[in-house]
Amino acid sequence: MSDHEELEGTVAAWVLGALDANEAESIRVHVEGCATCRQTAVRFRRAADSLPLEVEEVVPPARLRERILIAATAARSSTVPSAPARKRAALAPRRWKPVATVQLGRLTAFAAAATVLLALLIGLVVGGLLGRGSVSPPAPQVARFTLVGHGALAAAHGTVIDLKSDGVTLVDFSGLPALNKGKVYEVWLITPGGHPDSAAVFVPDSNGSKVVLVNMPLKGYSQMAVTAEDGPDGSAAPTQQPQLYGALG
Amino acid sequence: MELYDRYAGLAYAVAMRVLGDPGRSEDVVQEAFLKIWTNAASFDPKKGSLRTWLITAVRNRSIDYLRGRGAHERQELELQPELVESSIRSDPWHEVSLSLERMAVREAVGSLPAEQRQAVQLAYFGGYSQVEIADMTHVPLGTVKGRMRLALEKLSSYLQGRGLINV
Repeated sequence: MSDHEELEGTVAAWVLGALDANEAESIRVHVEGCATCRQTAVRFRRAADSLPLEVEEVVPPARLRERILIAATAARSSTVPSAPARKRAALAPRRWKPVATVQLGRLTAFAAAATVLLALLIGLVVGGLLGRGSVSPPAPQVARFTLVGHGALAAAHGTVIDLKSDGVTLVDFSGLPALNKGKVYEVWLITPGGHPDSAAVFVPDSNGSKVVLVNMPLKGYSQMAVTAEDGPDGSAAPTQQPQLYGALG
Repeated sequence: MELYDRYAGLAYAVAMRVLGDPGRSEDVVQEAFLKIWTNAASFDPKKGSLRTWLITAVRNRSIDYLRGRGAHERQELELQPELVESSIRSDPWHEVSLSLERMAVREAVGSLPAEQRQAVQLAYFGGYSQVEIADMTHVPLGTVKGRMRLALEKLSSYLQGRGLINV
């Protein structure tokens, strides 16, 4: 069998993504230079592209639309020049505080975060989701990290969206188990030295999901973690080993 | 969100078919839609439809998730936002044509011999390599290659015969 015949017989596997990286590269190079195989690849690719239509449509959870709107808003904010001379004094990272103080700070934090989110959503509606402006994108102002569940929270997942220019972070949780009565989930920001600062408390919805606003910049912290603590205010320090956590960077 | 309203059901279904996990499926669908909205750069309609681009992105990301691969370097078409929107609005017969296309694809896939259908589905929705499929099905590698080639030949001919793809 010639090299051409051998490679031609592998075009279908290549189109279906069933080759390892080296084989795929060999085929790609061959297809580029071989008119016959290129034509075969185009034909097979169009057939393979139709395969998803075999799948019965599934109505996604209603919250997915909301999630994407929020994430699109966050992403959109990264393509708009940040406001100059934004006051940040109130958003400085907090260290450990007594519970009562934390709660006061938390209320203020949520109010501010809600304001920012509202402003973002207004911007979304007014500006249009697809952004037809010709503003050239500045340096990225949004960073994304992932929280991974372990142990009893193995099914849980968190997507951290750090809106750097606004000093606000959105954390999109999913797959969280229901809490025992009187308990809340508490979000912790952990310094490189291992010191945890309380960032937010929340109770997920019946699907185990929640978008949480953290009104403080992540700068100076290396990890985010979640524990279950006594409600409604949470704890001043974690009372258990976190089972949902991830690195911030 | 017209784009989302139109294709979210199919995108989510494909992610669920590959991943079988609602949370992970939401993640990959979100990533695919965001890529269209935030990283759009250039779009050549001759290279593929918007739906194909979106669903391919969902499938590729799902497979990467499943296989624990990092960001892949597959070449996906980039779309200009304006074109995304115009391509949505200029197709009033979308539902009808999609329904007909779906019926044809199901007929075509259903008409394949079981072993050919299995080879294609394991590769496309399972993310398995031809070597892995040969191991799983206890047949020589050359047989797997042949099954994939025959399956795509038949699908192509079937869909071309109904005017659903032009080659």
